[in-house]
Amino acid sequence: MSADEALIAEGKNKFTVYCSRCPSKILNSGMGVYTDMTYNLPYMHHKADGDSTNVEDVKGYWQVSDIYTFENLGFSNTVENMKYLICADCEIGPIGWHDLSTKQSYVALSRVKHS
Amino acid sequence: MAKTYDYLFKLLLIGDSGVGKTCILFRFSEDAFNSTFISTIGIDFKIRTIELDGKKIKLQIWDTAGQERFRTITTAYYRGAMGIMLVYDITNEKSFDNIKNWIRNIEENASADVEKMLLGNKCDFPEKRQVSKERGEQLAIEYGIKFMETSAKASINVDEAFFSLARDIKTKTEKKLEASNPPKGGHQLKSYEPSRKQTNWLSKCTIL
Repeated sequence: MSADEALIAEGKNKFTVYCSRCPSKILNSGMGVYTDMTYNLPYMHHKADGDSTNVEDVKGYWQVSDIYTFENLGFSNTVENMKYLICADCEIGPIGWHDLSTKQSYVALSRVKHS
Repeated sequence: MAKTYDYLFKLLLIGDSGVGKTCILFRFSEDAFNSTFISTIGIDFKIRTIELDGKKIKLQIWDTAGQERFRTITTAYYRGAMGIMLVYDITNEKSFDNIKNWIRNIEENASADVEKMLLGNKCDFPEKRQVSKERGEQLAIEYGIKFMETSAKASINVDEAFFSLARDIKTKTEKKLEASNPPKGGHQLKSYEPSRKQTNWLSKCTIL
């Protein structure tokens, strides 16, 4: 949590959010609201590494209420009323999820780069 | 929260499978990360932000995601589309011939004033070329649409193609706005959001 705190300013993302793997810009600074919720996200495994069913508890997200607030972002097909979020350029993911009923998107702090 | 953009344009990528529609959208690398989990469920759409003449434009881009194998794309997929990238592979004659069929499919299903653009993809394999640039240009002239050869691998013209299509849609949108709202005393309507009914495309996503 202390590591996350350095990334937060007035409850929002202090820095611009980028993909962890490529230079794709995901979210401008100050556009996401920090939420310390924990959610089960599948690992960002490479195809060659096999097993896709593994999930882990991921805590700490940038919450965004309008998908068009994002600079660049990809959305998966719908699975149980939600969409997983991926990098729009290199497609690494899931870096978070989008709830279709509330229209809220959540980007995991631990799965993106801040600078 | 105030809107962070001026325009929102919905775009579709259409063409035979294997012409490189998906990799057209990779700007920084040749290949996708290819996560097991994401490849299994598939990708619905992407949001891209570009700036044109000082305006922030959000592009929401759909790929046919394999639907094209059935040679028909449903009306639901075309609903609300403002721009279509017609993509063929310059090393694959058949994908070029099929552009005519795709245009017919678009005419039957999409809105009549949708902006179209023809893209000959993979121009970094000149030795395997089956379709000359001239034939691409000729076909585009025939249909009165713009044409470009792109290389997703070398990122040649890919951004330019999206900028060009977005510019054409923007010009058309602004003309329409002017026609329906003649400027009064210098006051102009700043933002036009065609996909106002968000529930529309979201419910469409679940159908797909």
